[in-house]
Amino acid sequence: MPMEPPRDLSQAEKAEKKKVPIVEGLFKWPSDHPRLVGSRCPVCGSVQFPRSSVCNNPECDHSRPPEEVLLSDEGTLYSYDIHVYDLKEPFDYHRAPYAIGAVELPEGITVLARLTTTKDLRIGMKLRMKVDELYEDAENVYLTYYFEPVEGASR
Amino acid sequence: MTESAVIGAAITDWIEAGKPAPTAEIVAGVAMETLRQVGLRPADLDAIISTTSAMPFGSPAFLTTPAQHMGHRLAGKIGSNGLQVFNVSGACASAAAAFSIADSMVKSGKARKVLVVGYDNSPKGFYYSFNSYLDTDMAIGYPLKVVGAVNPTYWAMWARRRAYEMGKPVEDIKEVMAIVKEELSKNGALNPHARYKKIFTVKEVLESPVVDDPLHLYMISAVSSGAGAVLLSDMDSARKLTDKPVKVAASAVGGPLYNEPSPRLTYFATAGGKRAGKPFYEWRKPIEDAYRQAGIRPEDIDLAEVHDTCVFNTINWIDQIMGWEREETDRLIRSRQFGRDGRFPVNLSGGTTSFGEAVYAQALMEVYEVFRQLRGEAGERQVRKNAKIGLATAYGAYGSYGSIILERAW
Repeated sequence: MPMEPPRDLSQAEKAEKKKVPIVEGLFKWPSDHPRLVGSRCPVCGSVQFPRSSVCNNPECDHSRPPEEVLLSDEGTLYSYDIHVYDLKEPFDYHRAPYAIGAVELPEGITVLARLTTTKDLRIGMKLRMKVDELYEDAENVYLTYYFEPVEGASR
Repeated sequence: MTESAVIGAAITDWIEAGKPAPTAEIVAGVAMETLRQVGLRPADLDAIISTTSAMPFGSPAFLTTPAQHMGHRLAGKIGSNGLQVFNVSGACASAAAAFSIADSMVKSGKARKVLVVGYDNSPKGFYYSFNSYLDTDMAIGYPLKVVGAVNPTYWAMWARRRAYEMGKPVEDIKEVMAIVKEELSKNGALNPHARYKKIFTVKEVLESPVVDDPLHLYMISAVSSGAGAVLLSDMDSARKLTDKPVKVAASAVGGPLYNEPSPRLTYFATAGGKRAGKPFYEWRKPIEDAYRQAGIRPEDIDLAEVHDTCVFNTINWIDQIMGWEREETDRLIRSRQFGRDGRFPVNLSGGTTSFGEAVYAQALMEVYEVFRQLRGEAGERQVRKNAKIGLATAYGAYGSYGSIILERAW
């Protein structure tokens, strides 16, 4: 029977793995202050996530293209789902149960996000964005963005 | 403008999805059945509009699947003198869009007899909305990869939000959803074409496993396979071909609306502008357009077939169709006044709840049911009141919507 590697070795291997975003371009990484990357139209102010090369406001004259903008890292919980069954491959790295929130940002858009917890969630509570590990394979540790309840600010 | 009418309609039984099937044979079956109903030949048709999917998700071939050219295959199969052929997509609202194109062609005089066909067969299990590897646009599809969002995620969030906005605990909407399921499953039990004939009690629904809290398994419809066909003609021809022509009073198609405040199925984020106010404006707008086309008001609708992949959507459709306070919808449901002898009958077919969803064909099932109900041909499911006007609605991923109003014309 093969021996299990010592725990510290496994930790060392993990340290050598490269940390990469699950998808390039959704959030600023690496960064001490990670933020979602969106776009803002300089003509009408419409904000989009993910960023787009064309404004989504039908009333806009589209005379100038949207500019990249870092979105607020704090928002309010609009609603949420607690997903309790395992997804099929290749998406089974989302380990159930997990919570998905619709988070209203001050910019006026509501974005979907993994929440850091399934406990004590309430519509209207304040949340803050962070980047954290989602899963790892033999080469990489994959990162995604999460929103987590702000301590003490939820009531 | 010429008036248009539905003169024939046929559907298959809805069955388990994910089994290999002779797609064109099945579509030709329902197509020929509608022609036989009024004694027409393929040569009498001016156009075929197909909405068909047999989608191996994730396969690099799925963008060019032969199913997406079923209109042409059907024309070749049943024989054609060179008619106009279209193949239409609009996710779960595909068939409503196909129907509306047919209606517009007849009304404009570009065609006099148009056959709409739809068929769907998909792999078993929940849908995974994900782009092909050749399509890396992140706005749609990527929410699954990045945050683990599936279609029921959106329904769960909408349901929870509705309860919150009404100042009620989430248990309240769970109970309302369970009542909808019980009542619609009673309708499905009477429908020979429905896949599920079992009656699910409120207790069974609330005791079924939670899948996406607050949604339980029996609140969500299964993926199914089925086919439908609807034959439209100009009203003059209709009156010669049938004693019971059903007028197309309206057909409206909707798309994504900037300013919709509610998270839209399969999208990452709402649009970033001034809010439209009440959520689900996207659902409401094609209904309002249809009311304008038909010159009617919500209270003129005698019955409705609505697209309810989750029983939350049944509730939401009633909110949007009636335009009344949401409390009134809950009263209608809790008093069980939406059955065939009720105040506002909804989904007498059993709905997607009892059929499961054959995505691209689903709205044809709805049109079929409204057509049969208005003609008094719905058997045990027949609405008690003397129904003159019926509504069919559909919504789907990507922001796809459709509303159809049919009216007795004899």
